[in-house]
Amino acid sequence: MDRMSSGQKTVRTVLYWGLPVLAVLLIIVGWITFSASHPDLMPAPVDVWDRFIRTFTRPIAKTTLIGHAWASLRRVLIALLIAWAFGIGFGILIGWNRKARAFFGSIFEVIRPIPPIAWIPIVIMWFGIGEFPKVLLVFIGTFVPLVINTSAGIEMVDKINLHVGRIFGGNDMQILKEIVIPTALPSIFAGIRTSVSSGWTTVLAAEMMGAQQGLGSLVTRGWQGSDLSLVLVAVITIAVIGALLAVILQQLEKVVCPWNSK
Amino acid sequence: MAADKQKLEAKWAEYLENQKKDNVKYMLLSAAGILTVLVLWQAVVMLGLVDSRLLPPPTEVLSTLIYKLNNTVPDGNTLGTNIIASLQVALSGFCVAIVIGVPLGLLMGWWTYADRFIRPIFELVRPVPPIAWIPLVVVWMGVGLKAKALIIFFTAFVPCVINSYTGIKLTSQVLIDVSRTFGAPNWMIFWKIGIPSSLPMVFAGIRVALGNSWSTLVAAEMLAASAGLGYMIQIGRTVARPDIVIVGMVVIGAIGAILSAILSRCEKYFLRWKVNR
Amino acid sequence: MEQQVKRMEIRHLSKTFFSKKGYFTAIDDVSFDVYDGEFLVILGPGRCGKTVMLNIIAGVEDATEGQIIYNGKEWKGLNPEIGMVFQKLALMSFKTVIENVELALKFRGMKKEERREIARHYIKLVGLEGFENYYPKQLSGGMQQRVGIARAYAANPKLLIMDEPFGKLDAQTRYQMQEDLLKIWEKEKRTIIFVTNNIEEACYLGDRIILLSDCPAKVKEVYPIDIPRPRDMVSREFLELRTTISDNTDLSI
Repeated sequence: MDRMSSGQKTVRTVLYWGLPVLAVLLIIVGWITFSASHPDLMPAPVDVWDRFIRTFTRPIAKTTLIGHAWASLRRVLIALLIAWAFGIGFGILIGWNRKARAFFGSIFEVIRPIPPIAWIPIVIMWFGIGEFPKVLLVFIGTFVPLVINTSAGIEMVDKINLHVGRIFGGNDMQILKEIVIPTALPSIFAGIRTSVSSGWTTVLAAEMMGAQQGLGSLVTRGWQGSDLSLVLVAVITIAVIGALLAVILQQLEKVVCPWNSK
Repeated sequence: MAADKQKLEAKWAEYLENQKKDNVKYMLLSAAGILTVLVLWQAVVMLGLVDSRLLPPPTEVLSTLIYKLNNTVPDGNTLGTNIIASLQVALSGFCVAIVIGVPLGLLMGWWTYADRFIRPIFELVRPVPPIAWIPLVVVWMGVGLKAKALIIFFTAFVPCVINSYTGIKLTSQVLIDVSRTFGAPNWMIFWKIGIPSSLPMVFAGIRVALGNSWSTLVAAEMLAASAGLGYMIQIGRTVARPDIVIVGMVVIGAIGAILSAILSRCEKYFLRWKVNR
Repeated sequence: MEQQVKRMEIRHLSKTFFSKKGYFTAIDDVSFDVYDGEFLVILGPGRCGKTVMLNIIAGVEDATEGQIIYNGKEWKGLNPEIGMVFQKLALMSFKTVIENVELALKFRGMKKEERREIARHYIKLVGLEGFENYYPKQLSGGMQQRVGIARAYAANPKLLIMDEPFGKLDAQTRYQMQEDLLKIWEKEKRTIIFVTNNIEEACYLGDRIILLSDCPAKVKEVYPIDIPRPRDMVSREFLELRTTISDNTDLSI
């Protein structure tokens, strides 16, 4: 395998670096040609760029693109903070205490298969389309993965580590704090990661169903106004922010669980 | 020794008895949890603490559910028609995503060049939340089955690819080396070693894909449809019928749970060589 | 060795596990004494009974039959004067070396500077100076087990139980660890119950050897050893002892 001629080696290097470039080029060329022949179905990249600039010079619903992004982010962040506190707490409770698991776990299991998006109509009926119902919807969407991951992480704790805790004189609270929760932390973090992407999706859905501000409202506005460039600007912004959130979390995990990365 | 044996038998019987009592106790506790919620729900409505035009009591939800079985009011379809419409969309998108996504992920994980070529495209598409595709797809293809199935495809596709990719990357290098030593060609190692060892991860991906499909389906039907469970709850909201909305939510949840249970069965069957490990 | 004080007496200990399918006796009527300050080796060839017995002695599992007498009184439940080194290491992967070692002291509510000082003392004793802030994953198997020993010592137990601590180490590391363990024991005397399935290790370390049978575990024989330390593994008396025990040991595959 290692005995390659230098010619073969060059071909391999060219393929290795050429293929990704080719792929990206293909997308761009495909986009440009498609938009040229079907401008009604797909705006050209230049139009999208112009539309992007215009979101700053001509505000929509009294705010720029940044304002809309911030509106969405703020809703997600508020809901996430509340969901982290309740979801992790509840997950620890049902993962640690068998009676609590039997009692509350069954309620949770009944509610859990309902997708967060399916809550949108009833929440709108109850609370309208203001800030609170949106935060509530994101909370519902983020609570479930947190509880599942936290309780699974707590249950994963090796029995022998509990023995260590007891033999070295820890009481239940100390064992929970010093042994069980740290063991579950990577799993809890997986829940946090899922909760962020799920929250980001849910806030869009909620905003698309009715909102004054937010990236989801831009999508709907562009859609209903046949302004596909605006839809694309919003979608790309959504994707970029989603990717950034994922990267931030990855870095954060390295700080919170340093023993996992080294 | 004979006496010892008798004593142990007695202890074992006692142990089994206690186990049984324990199981019954926890089952009762679980039932009590759900019952408590239902009773509280009924009570708050009946005592007038919550307006019944906003929150119908469980009994009314149940009667609406039965009524909806063969009545088309208010959304124009019976519950059965809606369920079939939703399942059709969700499952077709989901199945296509598996058929394309899993082999693609496996390919990317096994052959570097496939990885180099597909990955940039994939990484560009991946961070777009599936529901953000809805407007574009509707503009492109309208609101028919194909359009919605395409949206479902986007949601289910991503986890299928990622997990298959990760799964096959986790193939033990020792196994690969052993096969190489025995002269197996690369495609055969891929088929006989790579694929089986990636299966658990592949199934994990399919599980995520299923959850995504079902939840995106609801969104797609709420935004663009003329039938289906998502459409039903959306109509329920516009005509101010919370009972219809809650029936819809319950049915959506129940079908989601059933689908996931079916998948577990399949997983158990395909991974039967892995049990008890 | 006339003035031996009994620290612990194990009386007719039995343990049977029950499951839906049936039951299984792991320990059958085991009795022995543990003297204060001795290095007692429990040699068991089989896979069964040893760890369970230690768990019962430490009080994290219940016996089916029998009793444990500690300092002349019957003892039930957790015994705070017992420390343990585990076969499976059972270090906390998310704690650094020093955090692992100070675990018991933290549980007791000791102040940080104080427990750090004690932890550092034992880390030095087991020869891990400079590795205080490493995570277990970054250490070799032998070093990890040294952390386990330091952790057990730092808890300042009267009775130290070691459950096949060197079972997973390679031969070279194992000899080194055995020697070091004896040195540590000479420096800070504790009563030690050391479990192993290795006859040579048992003969090298023990003041006495209690030989167990294969499943279920029963006491087969007790061997006092009066070969002076440090013992020479190829001396005639050592090899004789080894052969005697070896001939009396149940084969376990």
